[in-house]
Amino acid sequence: MTDAALAPDTRPTRKRETLLELSGVSVSFDGFRAINNLSFQIGEPELRAVIGPNGAGKTTFMDIVTGKTRPDEGRVTWGERNVSLLKMSESRIAREGIGRKFQKPTVFEAQTVEENLAMALKAPRGPFDVLLGRTGASGAERITAIATEIGLAEHLPRIAGELSHGQKQWLEIGMLLAQDPRLLLVDEPAAGMTPAEREHTTDLLKRLAERHAVVVVEHDMEFVRRLGCKVTVLHEGSVLAEGSLDHVTANPEVIDVYLGR
Amino acid sequence: MRALVRSNPSILWFLGLLAAFCLGVTFLAEATGTGAISTSFVKTLGKTLCLCLVAIAMDVVWGYCGILSLGHMAFFGLGGYAIGMWLMYARTEIIVSASLASAAIPPTPQEVEDAIASQIFGVVGASEFPWLWAFADSLVLQLAMVVLVPGLLALVFGWLAFRSRVTGVYLSILTQAMTLALSLYLFQNASGLRGNNGLSGLQNIPGLGGVPQSVVSIAFFWVSAVALALGYLLFAWVVSGKMGSVVRGIRDNEARVRFLGYHVEGFKLFVFTLTAIVAGLAGALYYPQAGIINPAEIAPIASIYLAVWVAIGGRGRLYGAVIGAASVSLLSSWFTGGGAPDIDLGFYEIQWTDWWLVLLGLSFVAVTLYAPKGIGGLIDLVAERRAPSRSRDLGPDASALRKTEAAE
Repeated sequence: MTDAALAPDTRPTRKRETLLELSGVSVSFDGFRAINNLSFQIGEPELRAVIGPNGAGKTTFMDIVTGKTRPDEGRVTWGERNVSLLKMSESRIAREGIGRKFQKPTVFEAQTVEENLAMALKAPRGPFDVLLGRTGASGAERITAIATEIGLAEHLPRIAGELSHGQKQWLEIGMLLAQDPRLLLVDEPAAGMTPAEREHTTDLLKRLAERHAVVVVEHDMEFVRRLGCKVTVLHEGSVLAEGSLDHVTANPEVIDVYLGR
Repeated sequence: MRALVRSNPSILWFLGLLAAFCLGVTFLAEATGTGAISTSFVKTLGKTLCLCLVAIAMDVVWGYCGILSLGHMAFFGLGGYAIGMWLMYARTEIIVSASLASAAIPPTPQEVEDAIASQIFGVVGASEFPWLWAFADSLVLQLAMVVLVPGLLALVFGWLAFRSRVTGVYLSILTQAMTLALSLYLFQNASGLRGNNGLSGLQNIPGLGGVPQSVVSIAFFWVSAVALALGYLLFAWVVSGKMGSVVRGIRDNEARVRFLGYHVEGFKLFVFTLTAIVAGLAGALYYPQAGIINPAEIAPIASIYLAVWVAIGGRGRLYGAVIGAASVSLLSSWFTGGGAPDIDLGFYEIQWTDWWLVLLGLSFVAVTLYAPKGIGGLIDLVAERRAPSRSRDLGPDASALRKTEAAE
């Protein structure tokens, strides 16, 4: 990553502390237990991959952390002061520093790449701040730096809807960078990317994880192996195994539910 | 300001055309020009400008922010009622004072007030001022009401609705319910606003008794035009830049905007309230030109018409709303005012006063099916063709050329 893209982040690389903690979280949809007594911790900085078969609760897990879904029971605490995320709105949680990249690229297709990035850029978020505030030179610089990082510098004035699938993925990663969150939740970042782009994504995530907490949900084992980080295996809404990739892939239960098929 | 105009060339076009139109009307009006345009038609044009103003407000709330409010004419009507109260009070006061002045004993202020009250409310069988009229004797306070009443109603209604995440059709139904409830309330004689009689005689501006209507009409026409120009600039500014990005983002993907950290409800409330205030101001300019306001003006159908104007004109572009409101409301008064010749089919005579609504309905369907971007979309088509070709290569990606291909 270019230095400018990380410029506002002056937090030193420090000893790992727990940033996010879920304990005993359960949630049911119409009687179906999507998340069952899930406990999960991530420190800052840390890179973590979450894998699991379809329906294991990966997306619901992200929905709970970002406030989209309220759990029936359990605690979700955040930051040094262990504040609960459960009473916060989605937008408040995002302002606390949790950024999310969706599985399907969701950018604002009717707007230009530059507008998409400007909207995501870390800045006061109130209606009057937005109306009266200006992006300014430093903001424009940061947008250019991020666009360079995600390979879209040439495409800033283009309408996002015209971009290819892979470029939209990049744009969404760029929006995540622009938000400058402490915790990044990244859902299948490499889907629809070329091998070269996948490599770039891996590098980017690794570098981000030097300073931030990054949770990557991924299906592709090869991609997870390249990340070279701790892996959490979800199954039926709870943690089945946790550890290095070699450790979890050697686990007979994991092989049974996920890898054996 | 300069950056705003540069980023949105429609502003200059719009202001230029509006200025040319106003000058043309002034030179043809009875009071200031040749008299080719009658005073009543000047009033119609002035009212049309007010409708254009409320239409751009509707376009911002619906076309840009995606909230299909079917209640914005309620705010328009409230603005009209607020200014109408002062107009009626002040004019009645002048008449009553004049008639009491000839009495042997000079009347006390209380006697004057009672006389005004029985003059205004005799028609609904009351002779006392309801609390609603507490500020009616003050132009300044009633002008404040023009802004405050629609603004506060929109703020409270919007807060309740947006906070509970009511969206889409359900929100539209709620806004219809709001405007219906308001008009039903005002229909009651006990509402304090003269029930279904409404407020009348609003074209007579107190203190300007000696000024002929031809002059009053052209003055209101100009004030309406200036208000429309300022409203256009205000909304062009609001929907430009980052605010515009966020507002359009809310229309296209509300949840995504939320996950970026924006408090979506706050933005919706801001847009809803701001547009309601502008609608109130437009109403305050409209009704002195119309001369009368009654609860039928804020019936649900009025707000639906507003949405139809914006849809026909092309939502998501401010000039589209102006085109839609101006063309449809002028055509409507032409057809319903007996301007269009009836068509005799031999076995049946098409009378436009009855058939105009059918024609409007058909054109709405036609626009929805064949020109989803409305009349304003046709202007975009022309503008895009005439725009100079992009100087820079868009890159090898074939999809990059798709936009120009689509226009050809």
